Amino acid sequence: MATSPAADPAAELRTRFEAVVMPHLDRLLAFAIRRTDSVADAEDAVQEACVRAWLGFADLRDEANARPWFYRILRTVLSDMREKSGRRQQLVYITRLEDAHDELVGGEHDALFSEVVARLDGEAVHRGLRSIPEDFAAAVELHDIDGFKYVEIAEIVGVPIGTVMSRIARGRKLLAGAIMAERGAAASEARSAERRTAHGGPR
Amino acid sequence: MSDDRSSIANRAVSPSPEEAARESRHEVLRELLGAYADRELPPETVAQIDAHLVGCAECRRSLEVHHALRARLAVEPPAAASPAFRARISAAIDAAPLPAAPRIAANARLAPESRMLWLVASGWVVAMILALVLAVTSGSASRFTPSTRALAAPVHDVPLLGAVVDDYARVSRGDLPGRARDLDAVRAAVSFPVEPLRAQNLRLLAAWTTDVRGEPAAVLAYRLDDRLLVQYLVAEDVFFQHPAIRAAIADHHLLRAADGDRTVVAWPDSSTGTVLVGNVPTESLQSIWRSESTR
Repeated sequence: MATSPAADPAAELRTRFEAVVMPHLDRLLAFAIRRTDSVADAEDAVQEACVRAWLGFADLRDEANARPWFYRILRTVLSDMREKSGRRQQLVYITRLEDAHDELVGGEHDALFSEVVARLDGEAVHRGLRSIPEDFAAAVELHDIDGFKYVEIAEIVGVPIGTVMSRIARGRKLLAGAIMAERGAAASEARSAERRTAHGGPR
Repeated sequence: MSDDRSSIANRAVSPSPEEAARESRHEVLRELLGAYADRELPPETVAQIDAHLVGCAECRRSLEVHHALRARLAVEPPAAASPAFRARISAAIDAAPLPAAPRIAANARLAPESRMLWLVASGWVVAMILALVLAVTSGSASRFTPSTRALAAPVHDVPLLGAVVDDYARVSRGDLPGRARDLDAVRAAVSFPVEPLRAQNLRLLAAWTTDVRGEPAAVLAYRLDDRLLVQYLVAEDVFFQHPAIRAAIADHHLLRAADGDRTVVAWPDSSTGTVLVGNVPTESLQSIWRSESTR
């Protein structure tokens, strides 16, 4: 005879887990995809996070906090994966990006400013997020994409709220700087191509 | 509209005290523009920034960048987990044990092959499996609450714990023998992994190495609120030497003990054992262990 969930604590726990944790799966998968090299790696990370969340589910005191709790577990899994694979993010010159941002907001070129702000609305943002340091990108994404408040991000990332504030502010500056720098590189490449055409092309 | 900051920048003469104060305020407030855009600031700070923005084109542009990025990222679509992927997750959870106790979660961090080796090598784990089977079949609600076992014998009857408690007493009387930045050196000095504990309000203060009854140990000191906690990490064979520790871990996953005002909890990880000591309630130490088990 089938046992009803109410009479079976294990089934009841599983039902609660499905209801509390699984609705966040799509967001978690997107977060993992942005921090891994492939969708397959992201799925592996989310699956591992789900298993860890299940095993630790009895310790989740307040189910209202399930979403940040789940993200915290996923971040740990992703960090373990990075450590295991030995993958390191490509180094970027933070000061160069900050200078690019300062040039953007401090200059008098309204046309340039409008153009760069327009570029924010495209694939350039994705490339920018991948090019800035992970701590800054994660803080910006957790707030702007996943909709967490600063206090929740502090809990997920395990840093004081002042650090969250600083990482989000600096992360957006770096992101704008990265987009500005990319625009500069594209313009430079275009000028080189023009020069090559004017001189009869490559020999 | 005139721009106060531009007028300062264009002036060759030294700024007046008023202008210098305005510049200084600009330096402070521009760092808060992200939080301003996110409505995470108290009203009085918001009012200051509102006033500053009127006269500062640079901050207005910077704020525009914050708003533009926020707006762009807010419409980022979530990924769609495919039905096949959801089924895969369901199967993985079906194959996992019940979340009866955090120690199981710690085990799950091991790679399957190393976990199997660990289980085979440790005969006492049979008792743990039996306990789990009994818990699963008993249907009692208590299996969902973490349990611990108090050490049956006095702390000093177990050489590892006695040595650790004595060392804690010595360390807490004087200057800490290391700094947090020494962590990498400590990692390089021992043959087992050394990962600092992470929990709310817990901050790493110092790391150093020592020996516990002739065996190498990594020592990490933490501040928990205003109390000192010290974690001793030893290799798993050293950790499991004494039968009292094996019995407590096999039955209840976590050992707890007390020696006067000092409380102790101990638990194994994939290849190490941790003994955590402090002048704090046992519950505080247990909650750190719980945080660890869900990392």
